[in-house]
Amino acid sequence: MRRAQILFLVKFFLILIVAYLVIAWNPVNDRVIVPFTQGLARSAGAILHVLGEPVTVRGTVVSGSRFGVNINNGCNGVEAMLILLASIVAFPASMKARAVGLILGAIAIQVLNEIRIVTLYLLGAYHPRVFDMFHTAVWQIVIIAAAILFFLAWSSRVVSNGLATRA
Amino acid sequence: MDWRLALRAVAGFLIGLAIWTFLSPLYDRLVSSVAERTMRAFEKPAVTRLVPAEDNYVTVDRGDFDPRSKRPAISVRDLTFNFILMALLFATAARPFSDRNIGAFLVACVILGITHVVAVITEVMSIYVAKLGPWSLAHYSDLERNVWGVSNHAYRLVLMYAIAFGIWWLTTLAPEAKKTKGKPRRR
Repeated sequence: MRRAQILFLVKFFLILIVAYLVIAWNPVNDRVIVPFTQGLARSAGAILHVLGEPVTVRGTVVSGSRFGVNINNGCNGVEAMLILLASIVAFPASMKARAVGLILGAIAIQVLNEIRIVTLYLLGAYHPRVFDMFHTAVWQIVIIAAAILFFLAWSSRVVSNGLATRA
Repeated sequence: MDWRLALRAVAGFLIGLAIWTFLSPLYDRLVSSVAERTMRAFEKPAVTRLVPAEDNYVTVDRGDFDPRSKRPAISVRDLTFNFILMALLFATAARPFSDRNIGAFLVACVILGITHVVAVITEVMSIYVAKLGPWSLAHYSDLERNVWGVSNHAYRLVLMYAIAFGIWWLTTLAPEAKKTKGKPRRR
């Protein structure tokens, strides 16, 4: 048991570091991560319009008359998706179970991340005093915790449904 | 995931956030002081000084800097908030206040503290190697710039969370999870 868990942790960190190096590589960042982040900015802009906030979106910047947010790496949910990817791939499970976990987890993280972007804009516009706290600590931890708790729920289901493989 | 686990996670998050918020000023001084001593132990001559400043920042000073030049500053708080994540994870245990869980949490806090010292050193080194213009170019190689720069960026982007998760995972290896049938558990 302990050996399998330590092996999981070693695999988790190795996969995480490799995945980080891939997304930190400039060509991948410029051609994949930045366009993806721009898509998030456009979605957040559309949601804010529905909520009655007249904002404009330029690249990764969502700005209005009262406030503006620039969605950088670390705020696009990719970091949480990397942690989810590393934990699910490191866990001994069938390929199908892993694929389902990754797709559902990524969708959940990005839905939560859109809520983060929208609420951070609204906090910056209407409650700027608490913006820093929510930006640095609260939302960042909520997103990562969601990824980890999703992994724990997924791994529990995988084990109880007999979809786990030997480590 | 059952609602009790979700409730424990929320409680752990709030308790972690409260502890981190109120203890940060004191904790930041402790971590930067240990980081300063560690760095000076490896420097010849020992020149680095990490001086607590206003707004939770720490000023990075060196004995060989031009006294007229502006000193860079770092935010230690930005490197330590993974404590909240770790508190949340410990709170998800079936019996959060059991001796075993509390003991594991205290051990985890010590290990996390050591990683915070390393994170501060990495942050300071990333300033030395790349953000001081001609001085950085004259004193450090491209390899050193890449190593310290990537380490610092990786820590801030993913490693700080992975470390909190990894420490929790290691210090609470499965025995308790085996008893909680039907709840998220670890193999």
